[in-house]
Amino acid sequence: MKGAERIEIDRRYCKGCMLCQYVCKFEVFEPGQERSALDYLMPRPVKLENCRFCRLCESHCPDMALFVVARKKGGEKE
Amino acid sequence: MKKGRIKVMQGNEACVEAAILAGCRFFAGYPITPASEILEGMARRLPLVDGFCLQAEDEIAAIVAVVGASWGGAKAMTATSGPGFCLMQEGVGLAASVESPCVIVNVQRGGPASGQSTSTAQGDLYQARYGSNGDYSLITLCPSTSQEMFDHTIRAFNLAERFRIPVIILSDEVVAHIREKVTIPDPDQLEIVERKKPTVPMEEFIPFQAGEDDVPPMPAFNTGYKIPVISQAKSLSGNRGNAKEAEAFIHRITRKVDAHIAEFADVRTYGDEKAETAFVSFGSVCRSARSAVDMAREKGLALRSVEVKTIWPFPDDLLRSKLTGAKRMVVAEMNLGMLVNEVRRVIRRPDIPIELFSKIGGIYPQPQEFLRFLEEKR
Amino acid sequence: MNPLGEKYLRKNFLPFLFCPGCGDGMIVQAFLEAVDDLGIINDLALAAGIGCSAWIPVYIHADVLKVLHGRAIPAAIGLKATRPSRKVVVFTGDGDGLAIGGNHLLHAARRNIDITVVMVNNQIYAMTGGQVAPSTPVGSRTQTTPYGNLEKPLDGCKVAIAAGATMVSRWSTAYPKALSRTFKKAMNHKGFSFVEVISQCPVQTGRYILGSGAPHFNLQWIKDHCVPVEDPSQIGEVEAQGKIPVGDFLQIEKPEFMEEVQRMNQKAKEAQSKGGER
Repeated sequence: MKGAERIEIDRRYCKGCMLCQYVCKFEVFEPGQERSALDYLMPRPVKLENCRFCRLCESHCPDMALFVVARKKGGEKE
Repeated sequence: MKKGRIKVMQGNEACVEAAILAGCRFFAGYPITPASEILEGMARRLPLVDGFCLQAEDEIAAIVAVVGASWGGAKAMTATSGPGFCLMQEGVGLAASVESPCVIVNVQRGGPASGQSTSTAQGDLYQARYGSNGDYSLITLCPSTSQEMFDHTIRAFNLAERFRIPVIILSDEVVAHIREKVTIPDPDQLEIVERKKPTVPMEEFIPFQAGEDDVPPMPAFNTGYKIPVISQAKSLSGNRGNAKEAEAFIHRITRKVDAHIAEFADVRTYGDEKAETAFVSFGSVCRSARSAVDMAREKGLALRSVEVKTIWPFPDDLLRSKLTGAKRMVVAEMNLGMLVNEVRRVIRRPDIPIELFSKIGGIYPQPQEFLRFLEEKR
Repeated sequence: MNPLGEKYLRKNFLPFLFCPGCGDGMIVQAFLEAVDDLGIINDLALAAGIGCSAWIPVYIHADVLKVLHGRAIPAAIGLKATRPSRKVVVFTGDGDGLAIGGNHLLHAARRNIDITVVMVNNQIYAMTGGQVAPSTPVGSRTQTTPYGNLEKPLDGCKVAIAAGATMVSRWSTAYPKALSRTFKKAMNHKGFSFVEVISQCPVQTGRYILGSGAPHFNLQWIKDHCVPVEDPSQIGEVEAQGKIPVGDFLQIEKPEFMEEVQRMNQKAKEAQSKGGER
């Protein structure tokens, strides 16, 4: 099954809109405590193990600040 | 003696001829009397040289398409009259702000608004310089004959390429429609200027940074530079500028023209260079002023006619030098007094009367009227 | 950063000036997916006017000409005419494109010139603080309609079709992948393509018209109100329910303007060489 190695959120550009959380069907994200460089509260991928690598969060991010690194399956990272 | 062929043509036709020879390959315009012949001429000629002529949906589309074409890499021109020139003003500022070379012909007619579509006038002088919003500089040329319309059109394209500005050719209905001999030089006799292109690759190119002459090199789109060209006041990288960057930008785009006026200023004298009475005029009025000088000479009266050919930026120093020794100056123009204000600003001598011979309503001032003015206002 | 962004964004201009949750940033990404798929970044010439959506192309590392309010289309025509092989895409908004720029939309569509116009519709003038737009629903209270908007909104797609556009689609930011597909289709279409994108503006439309400034609320609103139609005949039905029909409304082949110009130039030159100007 596909999954995420990690979810990277670029704190230079994140504006804390939380659309990643809204669009995720697997409850990966929750509001976090850390602030981005633009002073917005960033989301946190707390349940990474739930991630199915659908990448809806990535395609919905209005600042292109987020991307999902696929879990290695003995093959290459995507 | 210029090599070339001689053709009898209207000023408007001469403009088309010169534009093609200067390398203009994009024209966008809108029909308007008395400039329509330029659009029509370009519509006939441009397809034959693989150019593109567009009758746009309005004058605003025309001027903005010209700016787009300039960034597309072409030499581009539009032509209109007063009402259309008004509509184009935001576009003139755009051309100045994004520093796109282009030529705008304004064939003046009676104003204000729809005014007198088939009559001559010179009421757009200030608009040519200050019509758009904010601070910017440009060059305005004023032809008086069909030959000058030809010569100034070539010049306009060259100045536009040299300074990366909109250059305005301020013609009027008389110059546009009068038919007279024009000598068309052979192409190899013409000096044609092209815009500076970048000499470094994209990674090193800073789009709005200039050298000593204040004119940045201009790459055409899709030649490997991927540059952001915005109509806002900009930083060197082309992004919106902060206060200091905007200030520096505005200084540079004005300085690049104003600091070099000696390079292109053109004011001519006809008649007795030492005559104590001088006419000052521009555009078609110069023709009548010359005849007045000739008529006066026959009566034993020495006059000089000072003709302003580059009217913006105003040629302060050159005008002053052409008026040396004049004790009476008469500014003749077909408006209620615009050039006269500039002459008064430049010649600050309380002992020298600077009078205005103003003729409006659309009927061209005859040479006799000049002489009558001198008599009556003595 | 997202690798797509790494590849195509103009880094020294970041971050995007868009508000948190704004649809414009999503459109940047969807557009870049299409550009990446097609491999056309070097042939792109992007034009825009004034407004929030006008900043979309500026963040893309491509040749961009951002002119005056409402005048992106004439600029695009100048770019296209000087080199027809360019891929010219205009980014405009519902105000920039339907109000001040409306005339240019009509005539570019009429000419069927091969450019793509992306009209981002957030139903308001967002950049200037939330004034009514030609696309704002009747009754909306905006900064300039404090007692409720009296004017019926204009349907950009219908206008484009009536004016002669040969490809017309409307989608939204709710499904970015579908949007990407449509952008690709539009850029591949030979002729005038018009893509309207219903896009969320949480700060103006959300707060003043829809009742909430939360990004997810606004995106959900778009999901709830945009109904895909398979057939243009279903459009009336969807509109009667007070919803927004989305889909590929039209795609036909008609003679493209620049090709016709080149044909005309050829004929004119042949006629001239045969025996003088006409």
